[in-house]
Amino acid sequence: MDSLSRRSVIAGASALGAAMAFNLSTLPVLAQDGSKTLRLPLLRGSGNLDPQRYVGIFAVQDMIFDPLVQYGPGGKIEPSLADSWDVTPDDISITFHLRPGVSFTDGVPWDATSMVWNLNRWLPNEEYRWLQVAANYKSIEVIDEMTVALHFTKPTPTALTELGYVRPVRFLSPNAVDETGLYKTPIGTGPWIVEREGPSGTDLVPNRNYWGPKPELDRVSLVVIPDGMSRISSIIGGEIDAIGGKFIAPISPQEASTLNRNGVTVVTETGTDTMVLGFNPRREQFKDIRLREAFNLLIDREGIAKVVMKDYAQPTMNLYPEVIPYSGTRHPVPSRDVERAKALLEEAGWTGEGTRNKDGMPLNVELVISEDAVAGSRALGEVLQAGFLEAGIGLTLRNVDHAARHGDIPEFKYDLSLFVTNGAPYDPYNTLGLMFLSSVEPGTDGKIYEDEDLDALIQAALGAREGERPAAFQAVSDWLYDNWAIAPLFHGDRIWAHSSRIKSFTIPATEYEMPLKSLSL
Amino acid sequence: MIWLRKTFHIVGWPTLLLVSSFAFIAIFGSVISPYDPTMQNLSHSMQSFSGDHWLGADNLGRDTLSRLIAGAQTTLLGVVTVLLLAGTVGMMLGTLAGYFGGWLDEIVMRFCDFGFSVPSLFVALAFVGVFGPSYGNMILALSIAWVPIYARLTRGVVAAAASQAYIESLRVLGASPARIIFRHLVPVALGQVLVYASADAGLLALAIANLSFLGLGVQPPQAEWGQMLVSAMPYIQEAPRLVILPGIALTLLVIGFNLLGERIALAKNPRAMSRRKLTLRRAIFKKELEA
Repeated sequence: MDSLSRRSVIAGASALGAAMAFNLSTLPVLAQDGSKTLRLPLLRGSGNLDPQRYVGIFAVQDMIFDPLVQYGPGGKIEPSLADSWDVTPDDISITFHLRPGVSFTDGVPWDATSMVWNLNRWLPNEEYRWLQVAANYKSIEVIDEMTVALHFTKPTPTALTELGYVRPVRFLSPNAVDETGLYKTPIGTGPWIVEREGPSGTDLVPNRNYWGPKPELDRVSLVVIPDGMSRISSIIGGEIDAIGGKFIAPISPQEASTLNRNGVTVVTETGTDTMVLGFNPRREQFKDIRLREAFNLLIDREGIAKVVMKDYAQPTMNLYPEVIPYSGTRHPVPSRDVERAKALLEEAGWTGEGTRNKDGMPLNVELVISEDAVAGSRALGEVLQAGFLEAGIGLTLRNVDHAARHGDIPEFKYDLSLFVTNGAPYDPYNTLGLMFLSSVEPGTDGKIYEDEDLDALIQAALGAREGERPAAFQAVSDWLYDNWAIAPLFHGDRIWAHSSRIKSFTIPATEYEMPLKSLSL
Repeated sequence: MIWLRKTFHIVGWPTLLLVSSFAFIAIFGSVISPYDPTMQNLSHSMQSFSGDHWLGADNLGRDTLSRLIAGAQTTLLGVVTVLLLAGTVGMMLGTLAGYFGGWLDEIVMRFCDFGFSVPSLFVALAFVGVFGPSYGNMILALSIAWVPIYARLTRGVVAAAASQAYIESLRVLGASPARIIFRHLVPVALGQVLVYASADAGLLALAIANLSFLGLGVQPPQAEWGQMLVSAMPYIQEAPRLVILPGIALTLLVIGFNLLGERIALAKNPRAMSRRKLTLRRAIFKKELEA
């Protein structure tokens, strides 16, 4: 082959450059054409959307499958497939009056038959006992075609909240499974229908027969963009319209600052979860309240919220933010007090120059961090490390991946660990029930703290009747605070960003929904 | 001062300047460092170039210049330790295999084959994965991964030297194997190993940065360039300097070591004489003949 001349190289490069420029310029047009197509990124493919399996993306399942009742702003329970309901005074039975005139997108009517068929798929199943409705399940009673009662073995005040969750409680058409009962296709009563599904993304079109407010958009195109930086570049470049949501396409506080600087609208709302530094309750040293108090006093919560979270967080000493029902009164956030912490350590017998020690054992502790599981935990760990060192506490950071964290934490193989509470709609019940109650096996997220006295208070709160609940949950909150049992750090904001193509945007009530309800282009 | 001039001639001033600067920083780092590299000042977070922080401050308000200096110390100490450990063990194994041959040679060479069949970084990753990430474990892991390289190199040099007449003569004269190995073979192999090690140091610096970047090497709060890079990744758009500066430092160190190794290797090889030099030589030779 003849060697290339300079002219042909220049011509080739120009052609390539023009082709690239054309390609780049066409990308935003896809999102900005006349059609009302909303393009959103997804962290990963939608996966198997069977509501009874823990695989699919919550928010996509939420678009297709409706619940009986739904979690509204501030934890208010609102009607959905159940038009209304009656709860017995002892919280042992609930009678649901089903919404009339609703059908699945394949034409199957929504009635007692389809409801019972759905509930029987999971309610009696051992696998779902982590839900109180499943653990306390007694029977289902069909009163008439549009009225069904659920009976429990004992009072279940959490039932309505739990029936608003996405998994496993959502309803699908009996035609969505094969003859053996295995899920085959997503057919629900929800506002959206899956048009195309694949590893690169999912396209959804509106359900024109939807019982609620009809979607204003022509289509939602969910594009899989696994890399955070690529997602940021995509929204800046106009290739996607919005970004955010913890389980959809999360934005870190740092990324939010970058988007702000690039003229992308950033919308925030107080988060529904809390970042907590947990002491291993099975380590002898952390049974001493003075040590726990000293650790708490060495944390610069204001600094963490300002620098690590870029002001997208509120420092706290509470387990739950105010938006969570029964979160209780706000405890004062202590200022960092190194001298008081040192005095407490001395009093507890941890003395000496450099790293403190007691009976010859140095005060070296290990903090498990995982960027995969808790984004930003590395920087957070380094701030804690410097803060503890000032009082003679050696802190080693053990960086592990998601799988290793989920192995070590439930087995209590750590001294300190970062935990995130479950947030809405699961709290205030789930975090207390699964991550504090010692009688419940630790799940993959482990235990934040355990104590017999605390167990009794939590049991009382979880079983409390409507009027008694605020006081019962307050007692739990006060016990945690008075005993310095945990070190709550901050409530991280919920962050979304959107392009100028979106005219109206509201962050949904939970992290398990798409922001589509009030969105307009 | 002849030795200095000779060194200057062999290595060249840019390489010498580069490598000696890093060596100076590594040795006197603690004295010249403006701040404690681990000291956080959250109120100085992300501060740009200023009188207080010549190269700015990172996300936790730590002085970037001080961290770069500490990173040079960490990296160079790691490189030297790995080269010493891997070089010593590798040379020992290679010399024994090359001199005695037979089954010992077979065992050592098969061990080396195994070592070469698995990429060094994978060996290091497996070791750190099992024993946990720390600076010490990383040094040990890299040393283990680097041993086969030096064992094979030494074995080749020693096997060639052992068949030379002067070694045969020593054997005939009744010199002990220890005397032959330590007085005659090791010095020959050492020259080659040092030449190779000087070029290999750059690769090792990269390996240390790689492991730390993956969170398997140096652990916080100790400063290291690979770790600085990974910590700065989320801030690449806001403050690209946080990524660029450790990147430049690492690149310069690798270039310095590579140039050093190349210049030393070239100096040891015979070179074709230039036309000018040949003419000069001829003139001198002619003059001598005439005389």
